[in-house]
Amino acid sequence: MSKMREVVSTGNDLAAMAAVDAGCRFFGGYPITPSSEVMHTISDLLPKVGGAAIQMEDEIGGICAAIGASMSGVRSLTATSGPGISLKAENLGLAQMAEVPLVVVNVMRGGPSTGLPTRVSQGDVAQAKNPSHGDYKSITVCAGNLAECYTETVRAFNLADRFMQPVIVLLDETLGHMHGKAYLPTQDEVKAQIKPRRTFDGPPEEYKPYGVPQDEPAILNPMFKGYRYHFTGLHHDASGFPTEEIETCRKLIDRLFRKVDEHVDELESYEEFMMDDAEILMIAYGSVSLAAKEAILRLREEGIKVGLFRPITLWPSPEKRMFELGQKFEKILSVELNMGQYLEEIQRATGRKDIEKLVKVNGRPFSPQDIIDKVKEL
Amino acid sequence: MSLMKAPENTPVWTNEANCKACDLCVSVCPAGVLAMRYEPHSVLGAMITVIAPDDCIGCNECELACPDFAIYVADKKEYKFAKLSDQAKERAQKIAENNYMMLGA
Amino acid sequence: MAFNYDEYLRTDKMPTLWCWGCGDGVILKAFIRAVDKLGWDKDDVCVVSGIGCSGRFSSYVDFNTVHTTHGRTIAYATGIKLANPDKHVICVAGDGDALAIGGNHTIHGCRRNIDITLILIQNFIYGLTNSQTSPTTPRGFWTVSQKAGNIDPTFDGCKLAEAAGASFVAREKVSEPRKLEKVIQKALAHKGFSYVEALSNCHINLGRKNKMASAMENLDWIDSITLPKKKYDALSEEERINYLPTGVLKEDTEAEEYCDMYEEIKKVHQGLRPKITPDDFKKKL
Repeated sequence: MSKMREVVSTGNDLAAMAAVDAGCRFFGGYPITPSSEVMHTISDLLPKVGGAAIQMEDEIGGICAAIGASMSGVRSLTATSGPGISLKAENLGLAQMAEVPLVVVNVMRGGPSTGLPTRVSQGDVAQAKNPSHGDYKSITVCAGNLAECYTETVRAFNLADRFMQPVIVLLDETLGHMHGKAYLPTQDEVKAQIKPRRTFDGPPEEYKPYGVPQDEPAILNPMFKGYRYHFTGLHHDASGFPTEEIETCRKLIDRLFRKVDEHVDELESYEEFMMDDAEILMIAYGSVSLAAKEAILRLREEGIKVGLFRPITLWPSPEKRMFELGQKFEKILSVELNMGQYLEEIQRATGRKDIEKLVKVNGRPFSPQDIIDKVKEL
Repeated sequence: MSLMKAPENTPVWTNEANCKACDLCVSVCPAGVLAMRYEPHSVLGAMITVIAPDDCIGCNECELACPDFAIYVADKKEYKFAKLSDQAKERAQKIAENNYMMLGA
Repeated sequence: MAFNYDEYLRTDKMPTLWCWGCGDGVILKAFIRAVDKLGWDKDDVCVVSGIGCSGRFSSYVDFNTVHTTHGRTIAYATGIKLANPDKHVICVAGDGDALAIGGNHTIHGCRRNIDITLILIQNFIYGLTNSQTSPTTPRGFWTVSQKAGNIDPTFDGCKLAEAAGASFVAREKVSEPRKLEKVIQKALAHKGFSYVEALSNCHINLGRKNKMASAMENLDWIDSITLPKKKYDALSEEERINYLPTGVLKEDTEAEEYCDMYEEIKKVHQGLRPKITPDDFKKKL
């Protein structure tokens, strides 16, 4: 039995605590509502353990400093909200291309543009799949409650080092600012889970950071340790140097896909709530799932049997499971705080166009009653 | 200091694989030691040539001005360089007037 | 014996992709000689470049090297340096890279006085993308983005760096490789943000349409617009307007360096000292 600890905190603070517990030693960021508290908290926590947190001159600087620190071998974090992701997008692309691990916490607010800075939304789900130009596979996880603001951030750090690329942790304004009790694994347990990135220990002249099998990520040794190599956002060969050689370019992008696609089992994560006897399936994620669960409990008191499928890893999506569920359930309701960004993925995965939807884009969260009313209409 | 061994009894030598024929080394040589020769296989149709090694004064200007690691000068401690002569200066002038090409070529 | 550049070069990448006669190579050589004079271990050096012809600089040197996105060299370098304060971090960027798209990071790198050396290769034009106006293109010059003649006023990068708080500011030109090596060596050895503006030729994309189509002509033009600081200082305000001073323009060895100051923040959080207050600083504003 793992010992749990009880913590009273906010989602944003929990994400910051999780990062430090997971071995993050660098933060680069810029103030933005509703994620700023991640920076506020981590700027106190990191120097205590010998790390560093810096408020940069802009969002772009924030992610660049974090990627730079990560290139040198240090687990690094940046945190922001939608407008910040838009600004950071190009450098997220560099981290994808050069295979630099990084955790990016995005506390979602209403968009587009400046939108509703202090209000909740799940409007960045589609953005998280392809924030930057070009072809690559995004890894995005989404916390559904306070405890997961912590545990998913920890998992994100391990995934980033495993797959050698950025991992986006989606929180939303509701979770980020929610203040409450959370049961967390102990710091020792988290420490025991840390899987540092792989390194090459052979002679430096034989080191080929990107010379790996087609389904594996690059092996990037820390800087300043005798393995002097080159990072670039350009197409590069096994040694890391720019190339335009046709087959090398094709293989590079193919590998960026396959290193994720062929290991989705290591990424997949979802929760199934009261699904055993359910007659109606609801799909929701993030803070919306809290209202969804409450709605399900109340509906069941009235004899309406609804179950919840909650994807935790949003990208890549749990498409196999969603396909199975699409075969099993006649009535499926997708609930999300956007115009239906994940609905498109559910339609794709299930192959069904008759998925019902409940959406909201006015910056306010769903109440359980909103969901109950919709279910009764089905 | 990182040092490389100089070829024996040579004041100035080149690496033609690196030379892009920009003329800079020729333009800074005060002694007319260097000039470009016609070289059909070079991108710009020319190649650096040491035409008067015995007049090299070891000033190192060519090496410092070369952007391409294509020219090297021996150490003053190891090679006895010439003094700058009027004849050498005059040749340098004529080479410059000849678009840095070898005279009579 | 002769100086062995190969020790510091990725020789399999030679010859460089730069055009014939490009000053970038002269700056690369001066930088290598400067590092060699300082006797630094190659493992302890990180060179960060951005986008533009200067972006290729990092791929040619046998250090830990990073080729970043356009304008972001200093931001990346800030992360590398703050996470590894005992290592040597050098940025190489062009005038478009560091003064236009990345201008903000340049200003704030200077302001923090973090111990990074920025070698700004200033060739008065966007070279790689073929002759667009840069923040340093002289007024009246032909550029491909303003063929009628450039009307944009120019930046003086050194004045900018000085005003923003860089503790070492120098300008030199590729036609003076010995002096260039010296200021780069000084900048590298300096603790704090050091800004070196290396005036370079781009006879291809600046020169061809501005009556200096050879490297020699382009360098002669640079010579004609530069004066050593002493001579420059002796001129009247009016006489100075079309000259750029060369040499070390600012050297402040007293200014606090950012990573050093960050150590104090660590001490506060580790209970080793009281909180930092305005009394800790001579200059507060």
